[in-house]
Amino acid sequence: MSLRALRIVWRISLLNIRAAMEYRTEFLLNIAAGAIWQVSVIVFATVLLARFTGMGGWDSSDVLLIPAIRMLAHGLFVLLLGRMHLVGRQIQEGRIDVYLLRPMPVHRQVQLAYFPTNAIGDLMVAAGLMAGAVSRSDLHWTAGRVSYLIAAVIGGMLLEAALFTGLASAALRFPAADYWSRWLEELLGTFGSYPLNVLPKAVGGFLTFALPLAFVAYFPAAVLTGHDTAVPHWLAASSPLLGVLAYLGARVLWRWALRHYTGVNG
Amino acid sequence: MAVLHAWRAARVTPLGELHTPPRMTAVLLRLTVQVVLVASLWHGLYAQTGTTAGLSREQAISYAVMAVLASRLRELDQFTGRDTVIQHMHYGTIVYWYLRPLPPQRYYALRALGEQLYGLAWALGGYAVCLAAGVAEPPRSAAVAGVFAVSMLLGQWVLYYVLLVLDQLCFFTIRNNSALLILIFAQNLLSGVYAPLWYFPDWFLTLSGFLPFQATLSVPLSLYVGRIELSEAGAELAVQAAWVVVLALLTRWVWRRAARRVISQGG
Repeated sequence: MSLRALRIVWRISLLNIRAAMEYRTEFLLNIAAGAIWQVSVIVFATVLLARFTGMGGWDSSDVLLIPAIRMLAHGLFVLLLGRMHLVGRQIQEGRIDVYLLRPMPVHRQVQLAYFPTNAIGDLMVAAGLMAGAVSRSDLHWTAGRVSYLIAAVIGGMLLEAALFTGLASAALRFPAADYWSRWLEELLGTFGSYPLNVLPKAVGGFLTFALPLAFVAYFPAAVLTGHDTAVPHWLAASSPLLGVLAYLGARVLWRWALRHYTGVNG
Repeated sequence: MAVLHAWRAARVTPLGELHTPPRMTAVLLRLTVQVVLVASLWHGLYAQTGTTAGLSREQAISYAVMAVLASRLRELDQFTGRDTVIQHMHYGTIVYWYLRPLPPQRYYALRALGEQLYGLAWALGGYAVCLAAGVAEPPRSAAVAGVFAVSMLLGQWVLYYVLLVLDQLCFFTIRNNSALLILIFAQNLLSGVYAPLWYFPDWFLTLSGFLPFQATLSVPLSLYVGRIELSEAGAELAVQAAWVVVLALLTRWVWRRAARRVISQGG
């Protein structure tokens, strides 16, 4: 992206923030919505941790790293790339057709459609949880571990973005595919916050290879805390890299789907 | 004639679903995967522990699976059909609700009834499959089944009013997206969709006792799995009925206030 394009992105984002703040109550409620969503995930995870100690052979301080990585990755995804959720609606309203006529990439226009106010709440709670998880952890936080943690969060964000970009690409061809994005978000929130080795092997395999949820936070947390997983160590350790590759693949898919986009009326 | 009009209004959203086979396939797949995942999760969590918070493994699995099925009852996509209250407020088409021979509150209720009956068909189908597969336990007695049915009916009635209050908010705030999101989180958390409320700390249970959410799902499912004994059912049903009455009166009053705020083409 050129410097000029970055400047345009910045100016549109500022305008979007001003537009969102026109409805002050809605703006504040939106921040609260993001925070409450994350808190509900934390409550669910902590209730399970309190009732079922030693979950999958993990200490509760180690388990906390999983929702911390996932939620921080999710917050960054919502802030930077989260408008992929909106694609189905934009297709239905014919706005993608308008984007195609403008001198800016469609993907960027989708991302600049509005400012994701709820990401502020998401990130506030996620950062708090990460601080709590790191301070409670017995791990020695070397530069290598900290670097891997940062890479894991970015990789998790890109993997989540890849999944939603893939769904958005499918929605360009089949608008009903939009239905799946809500479910995907629910699945990530419900099953992405604790060790997947508590699940039967077949289900764990599904959440690793069919829907690569395990690579978002479970495998990186296992690598950091030294727990074994159902996959080889090198594969678990390369989760951040897989996130990058999956996102690049999803963007190729997006471009292909956009080239074949015919609009809802054919 | 009134019955015919009611039937036509009630079947709008289900018809939309029936004419979208990909969406129905998606619902089937989603429901199946969600039930398998939830049952596996609780199975795994209970692998190394006995009864927790008064719930055995079988009770917890039955509760969680039925919570997934019950969540289908009001999950139809009105947004695609551009028939949500917020969309009507945004496009100004809400005025048509007030020009028809059918009062808006009755139209709204009939639409909701149609959705809930359609959702009930999915939930009952799923329940039958789960019973046959042994994923969910059958009710312990006919009395439990009867009390559960009454409690579930009251719970859905409360849920209808809770969602109606949210939609009515649109008449006053123009936008209700965030409030709706917050309510969905609150509903899922405080009604026991994420996890049975019995696992939560006492202060959480006390707090949720003052809110209508646990009346929507936690109470009927707890009665079903036997976490609430039949001897306590009368009091629980009375609380649910009280929520129905309170919310009915509130929403009736708000409908009248909302009608005064409807403007057409700038007033």
